[in-house]
Amino acid sequence: MRRRMVVWILATAIAGAPALAQTSLQLLPPQLEKDLAAKATNVSEVTLDKNMLGFAAKFMNGSDKDEAGVRQLIESLDGIYVRDYEFDKEGEYSMEDVERQCLAFVAPGWSPIVHDRERKNGEISDVMVKLVNGEPHGMFILSAEPKDLSIVLIMGPIRMDQLGMLKGIGGLGALGNAEKDKPSKHKGDQKPTDGGQP
Amino acid sequence: MNRRFWIPLGCAVLSVAVFVPWVVRAAGAEGGFDGVLSSIEQQYHVRATRIPFMNLASLIAGTATHGGVGQVHIAEFEHFTRPADGEELNRMVQEKLGQGWSRMIRETSRQGNEQTLIFARPEGNRMGLFILDLDGNEMDVVQVSVDPDRLNDTIDKYKHHDGDLNESN
Repeated sequence: MRRRMVVWILATAIAGAPALAQTSLQLLPPQLEKDLAAKATNVSEVTLDKNMLGFAAKFMNGSDKDEAGVRQLIESLDGIYVRDYEFDKEGEYSMEDVERQCLAFVAPGWSPIVHDRERKNGEISDVMVKLVNGEPHGMFILSAEPKDLSIVLIMGPIRMDQLGMLKGIGGLGALGNAEKDKPSKHKGDQKPTDGGQP
Repeated sequence: MNRRFWIPLGCAVLSVAVFVPWVVRAAGAEGGFDGVLSSIEQQYHVRATRIPFMNLASLIAGTATHGGVGQVHIAEFEHFTRPADGEELNRMVQEKLGQGWSRMIRETSRQGNEQTLIFARPEGNRMGLFILDLDGNEMDVVQVSVDPDRLNDTIDKYKHHDGDLNESN
């Protein structure tokens, strides 16, 4: 009887472990996140996992054409994670440390599409895309300035032309520019803003 | 034998039933909405103003929205003069809300003592939302359970109603 109970408890724990692991996706190591939040003057953190996105999607009216598009996009995503930190003074966080830890998180299976380093201003930008069978299934954006740090992770199938639809979500306002900046057929060839490969 | 056994046992159970909740409450170990309020009260030496007849208001809100909104809890802290540390507040809320709640939004601004925390918890077809907003010297705390489908139906109904009114004007 006691053995059966122990087996049952172990089975429950093993079955529950993947669920716990799934919900604990961390964009940054917890300690680094705490340190950044403690030093920053302004902090914005958005954590929307699949459950939350599904819930948010329910509030969007399916009969409205625009909202139906956003709803469809949001329902297909697995998560949106945004971290934005503003600092009073320069040098309050280690840009190299953040970059190293972030890139370690996304490195396997992710392809860099933008890797920009401006030594003069001390600014870095990284955009990486996770490709699954040639289709983007995740996007990671790191933008670091001496007094400002933004990290965005979008998980799930996403089309670049749909990115602008997410501008309403806190911290993703800049994605609204993606729609404006979309290359038009009438314009000449546009050069990518890629600063080079790592 | 029976009486000798059951009477002391009954007294013991009754004592436990009465004293344990009291002790737990006194120790600030209660969880959920009230637990968060107690912790804030203790930590920042402020007093929460609870809205009277909130249960009745919650019932009316539930009926009016056909179950779209329910279990409404609202409290307000006025004269919140102590600076609130975002990390500490976040930890306190997370600890008291307990498992199942996950943080969706956190906004912290040291300039002007501003803090916003939004936690959510799936409750079957419904979603529990916990919102804490500190702006200057005033903090509002709200917990609500929402059924998005039913709430949408109610909102749609009023949208159509507004549309009809605009057309008639």
